[in-house]
Amino acid sequence: MSAEVLRKRKGEILISIPPILWLVIFFVIPTFLVIAMAFRSADPYGGIGQEWTLDTIKSLGNPDYPVIIWRTIWLSVLSTAVCILASIPAGYYIARLNKKYQDILLLFIIVPFWINFLIRIFAWKVFLHPEGFFKEALVALKIAAPDTLLLYNTGAVLVVIVYSYLPFALLPIYAAAEKFNFHLLEAAYDLGAGRLQAFVRVFLPGIKQGIITAIVVVFIPALGSYVIPDIVGGTQAEMIGNKIAQRTFIDRNLPHASALSTILALAIIIPSAVALTMRFFKEKNSTSLRLR
Amino acid sequence: MKKLLTFFAAALMAFVSCSKKSNELHIYNWADYMNPAVIEKFEKEYNCKVVINYFDSNEALYAKLKAGATGYDVLFPTSYMSRLMYEQKMIREIDHSKLKNIKNIDMAFVKKGLDPQMRYSVPYMMTFTGIAYNKKKVKNFKPSWSIFERDDLAGRMTLLNDMREVIGAALKYNGYNYNSTNDAELEKAFETVIKWKKNIAKFDVDEAKRGLSSGEFYLIQVYNGDALQLIAENPDLAFATPQEGTALSQDDFVIPVTAKNVELAYKFIDFMLEPENCKANMEFVYYLAPNIAAQKLMSEDFLKDPAVNPPKSILDKSEFLQDLGSNNSKFSALWDKIKSTK
Repeated sequence: MSAEVLRKRKGEILISIPPILWLVIFFVIPTFLVIAMAFRSADPYGGIGQEWTLDTIKSLGNPDYPVIIWRTIWLSVLSTAVCILASIPAGYYIARLNKKYQDILLLFIIVPFWINFLIRIFAWKVFLHPEGFFKEALVALKIAAPDTLLLYNTGAVLVVIVYSYLPFALLPIYAAAEKFNFHLLEAAYDLGAGRLQAFVRVFLPGIKQGIITAIVVVFIPALGSYVIPDIVGGTQAEMIGNKIAQRTFIDRNLPHASALSTILALAIIIPSAVALTMRFFKEKNSTSLRLR
Repeated sequence: MKKLLTFFAAALMAFVSCSKKSNELHIYNWADYMNPAVIEKFEKEYNCKVVINYFDSNEALYAKLKAGATGYDVLFPTSYMSRLMYEQKMIREIDHSKLKNIKNIDMAFVKKGLDPQMRYSVPYMMTFTGIAYNKKKVKNFKPSWSIFERDDLAGRMTLLNDMREVIGAALKYNGYNYNSTNDAELEKAFETVIKWKKNIAKFDVDEAKRGLSSGEFYLIQVYNGDALQLIAENPDLAFATPQEGTALSQDDFVIPVTAKNVELAYKFIDFMLEPENCKANMEFVYYLAPNIAAQKLMSEDFLKDPAVNPPKSILDKSEFLQDLGSNNSKFSALWDKIKSTK
């Protein structure tokens, strides 16, 4: 029986082998190497020692880390929240438009990707320049004082992270909204729901999968931000990504860089593992309910 | 990102170097640090192709080579890094018989450095750290590291994103040695940097230069030749060496152990030591080369410019950057503390 299943699914298995191999060789194995390196000793000349040690893990108790870890987390959570909150109404609106206009709007969202990521961030530097037109306009409108600085603070980092990842949030939410059956909203109105109630209780659950995807694709890269705080962040905007770069390129301490990377990886793997296990048990329960 | 990219480039280089042609010379240099016309001349004369990659800090160069990057024939580390690389057996000893122009080198200068016999390095340029500023925006400028305490310039100044230079400047400000590893002195320097940090926009190397040109920053900690390159484009800018003293550096030609084209590497170094070519490089990068024959060709103005050739009073108070070996971690720990303290 199982042999028969195997024969039937032979094609599927054959097709899956190359990407699985690719992921194992270029993703899973390197990840484990990084984790393993965190337990190796470091020599002051950038080499990796032969012996195993817990010293690096212990040195993560460095009193300077909580500030940076906390900043990395709140910046990532806040930027994810802003991206999602902005994308839901936008996705809803685009999905309800005539197909022709939908395509035009989507094109506008995708066009910036044709420009290099770094150049787009440098464009923000020009835009927020202390003598730039935007600043002058704010001063003229009395919103900003002449010596207000728009760059090199955590606010600038937040704005640029949101700018960079907004399309990644918008596209999956739009894709989910586009498949959503809007007659369900009318049904909700007929059953006495208000506009807000229908939106929250019918539309949002309907595009749940899109929202989850959006959270994942914004939160994970935001957590690993390095370029953005490096370019628009000032002296108080360092994130874990910058610390990893410093450990690698300046301090010649790869084990320490690996330990920090491991923390970042765990910060993503543990919540995902918990979510997956919860879903697994939930599905198991619901199937058993159905059987009964 | 730039650093990440160079890292990937290293991996790619390792890949490509297998199929490298024999008449290619791969050099790894700082940006804007060699006259392209001179390189072109070398290519024509030796019928070869020079491939250039760039790094932005000695530490990044070291980390990349330590991680196994190969395929480079000539590198340009600062002398403290050359020495470390030599101790780590990453670079070759120099065969003086292959460099007929080595006689042009200013030995009096070399003797003060870290490789007085040029066993593993040949000096390229002499550099030092100072302050570049916008004359229109900075009133009552004083050539002192204490300028970073001025809160009327808050948010418009930058320090180098380099722990050795920033902590070193603060050590100097307090009257200590740039290379001090004394805990009490470092603690004093820490307090000074924290005071400065409140007034600076960020720690930066390359973007700070552009920021000074565009009016974003009024005053930056910078290397002398870089500042002179900016001044050549914008007459509102000026450069000064702090009266407390500063860090002197010498950037070297070195040949890595893994070099594939050693013969051509020697020819390249020898070519760059020729007075005419060395002169063309000095005129392009605005740094002083410790090359007596070439200096004879330079104008008095260039040689007497305190931004090129600092006066003896400042030289006496300045030090060459040294590699600190295991004491490096002291600087790293202090740098962490600086970055996370408000």
